[in-house]
Amino acid sequence: MTSRRYAVLPAGRPAEFPPDARARIERILSRYPTKQAALLPVLWVAQETWGWISREAAEEVARILELSPAHVSGVLTFYTMYNLEPVGRHLLQFCTSISCHLAGAGGLLEHCRRRLGIDLGQTTADGRFTMVEVECIAGCDRAPSMMIDDAYHEPMDPSKLDALLESLP
Amino acid sequence: MSAPAPPAPAAPPPPKKDTLTIVFDGKPIEVPPGINLIEAAKLAGIEIPHFCFHPRLSVVGQCRMCLVEIEGIPKIQAACTTPIKDGLAVKTTTQKVRESRAANMEFLLINHPLDCPICDQAGECKLQDNAFGYGEQRSRYDERKRQYAGYDRTAIGPHVVADMTRCIQCTRCIRFCQEIAGTGELTFLDRGGRTLVWTHDGKPLANDWSACAADVCPVGALTTKEFRFRRRVWDLKKTPSVCPGCNIGCNISIEDRDSVVYRFLPRLNPAVNDYWLCDYGRFLSESLNAREISKATVREGSDVRDAIVPAAVERIASEIRSTIETDGPSAIFFLGSAHLSNEENFLLRKIADHIGCGNRDVVVDRSRVRRMKSKTEWIEGDHAGANYAGARDMGLSPGPGGHGLTDVLEGRWIPQIVVVADASFAAAADDAEKVGRLRGARFLAVAARTANSLTRAADVVLPAASLAQKEGSFTNVQGRVQWFQRAFLPPPPARAHWELLLLLGVALGWGDRNWTPAAVRTQIREEVEGYDEVTEQELAGGGLMKKGLFVSTGAV
Repeated sequence: MTSRRYAVLPAGRPAEFPPDARARIERILSRYPTKQAALLPVLWVAQETWGWISREAAEEVARILELSPAHVSGVLTFYTMYNLEPVGRHLLQFCTSISCHLAGAGGLLEHCRRRLGIDLGQTTADGRFTMVEVECIAGCDRAPSMMIDDAYHEPMDPSKLDALLESLP
Repeated sequence: MSAPAPPAPAAPPPPKKDTLTIVFDGKPIEVPPGINLIEAAKLAGIEIPHFCFHPRLSVVGQCRMCLVEIEGIPKIQAACTTPIKDGLAVKTTTQKVRESRAANMEFLLINHPLDCPICDQAGECKLQDNAFGYGEQRSRYDERKRQYAGYDRTAIGPHVVADMTRCIQCTRCIRFCQEIAGTGELTFLDRGGRTLVWTHDGKPLANDWSACAADVCPVGALTTKEFRFRRRVWDLKKTPSVCPGCNIGCNISIEDRDSVVYRFLPRLNPAVNDYWLCDYGRFLSESLNAREISKATVREGSDVRDAIVPAAVERIASEIRSTIETDGPSAIFFLGSAHLSNEENFLLRKIADHIGCGNRDVVVDRSRVRRMKSKTEWIEGDHAGANYAGARDMGLSPGPGGHGLTDVLEGRWIPQIVVVADASFAAAADDAEKVGRLRGARFLAVAARTANSLTRAADVVLPAASLAQKEGSFTNVQGRVQWFQRAFLPPPPARAHWELLLLLGVALGWGDRNWTPAAVRTQIREEVEGYDEVTEQELAGGGLMKKGLFVSTGAV
């Protein structure tokens, strides 16, 4: 059994939110009755700030929200969409749940693997792409479905994927 | 259209009752408000099996074991999360309840290893008890069980060892750290079938009460490093005692077998330590097994010779008698201890009184501040001895015109004879300068169990008992007088400090060798202010505040 664990920042670098992110956090806090209630959106701010959430970032969020770091860890490891290690500039999320699977998600995944030369959970050497597998993303009607960063691309096939991978910076 | 009639005045609320009536299995019982169904059932003498509920932790309804039927509610309910109300009719023995409990046990046992023979929790395991009491005899599950590789047999902190494969996810330990210790080291990591209790980024579970997380663990998922694999728990004898670690005086059980102390466990006292015990106090248990002074010794010139105890005591008495003749009683100094019981400190003071000596004192041994949460408040202790308050109450302060310890230690006064009733006091006993000052006396007598520079410097050393080897009472920082009982006898010729003091008293013409600590307490009641209401029964029942200090804290 493996468990999701943090990657850490290069030695001793603290995670400090830039001023605009701090301002966003303050706005978020004003909308919730308790600081604890704002944990999920504040973690999103962290993920959008750094692209992933380091141990140090989790501890900084705990400090700001006056929670134990353990509580923040519990939430971070419960949800799958918080990245606990650095990801590439683009996150390729392949749905392999039943509808997409029947519609050829396996072949699509294999195609992408060969083209990028990486496996699930890995990032290309140039730092452009990270491949992950996700559970149903509610795109069954246009399977096989996938998400690249926050956008849906469906129905997807190998040639469309090749074109997309060419076009992304 | 006529105006709507004014609303009828609301019926006056029924008079508020002090108690609620709950009907358990057809039997009505009056219970106080504010408790839950598990506690109410307990008052009715009915056990509702549970794992996650703990009287001092928040109610989470996590384990689903406490299912009961409630009249008027179609589905079975978790007793822990059901608010009680007047007239509630609860059924705990119906087939539906029995089947629900058995099904719940079956789910819990799907992934729980059946390793009771090598699990330290066996014998005091809620899962074992509830499986026996409410589960099926056989498992229908023969697939592979889940294991948490890397999270078994692994220290999660300085005292606690985790075996996550045994965890049933009740969250008691998480809630203890969050709600009682206030440190929040533990959490659930991951989700679903992979959920495990661990710390943030592998940080240690290190708070002052961390072993309580193992106490509240209903299974063997958290155990203490110190007790692990040392004894089966059913082999141990429990003796009510009081923690010797500081002057909070947490109530403990000394657990021994064959006169060896294996562990301390907290003993419930809502007014002092509630269900808890700090790591420092808990792991003093092993120190009770030390025995370095196993016989009486008497220094003859440069020789140190073994002696029988009565002869060694007589040697002290004869030195005292001759000093009284030559220099008078004021050349003698009696030093009591915060590690000794009220009875022992009282005897020491009475001996000093008997010979007319006002030079008596007790060592002030301050420790770092230790904190303990009672049911209602945090209590702080700051003395290394459990009975500093009691030693002072028994009169161990310099009498009129008498000298105290600081006079000796600062060289203002050199007594002819120093009698140290207990040489185990921590800091001072190994401080060469302080020992040198005490050794400035012509004759130095001590009673001790462990050796230190003071015992090595002494002319007469008497072998004394450990806390587990004697009975007596301590008065804690709140003024609460608490009884500790004897777990086993000291190995001969060692004797309880009070026995040694009685021997000395009798040798000096005071007291009775047949007195017991209870007989001494009778005298304390008569002579010491504030102790007249401390009856034997009340001592046995969890301690009593000295007169004028009693504060009711309510039952659990």
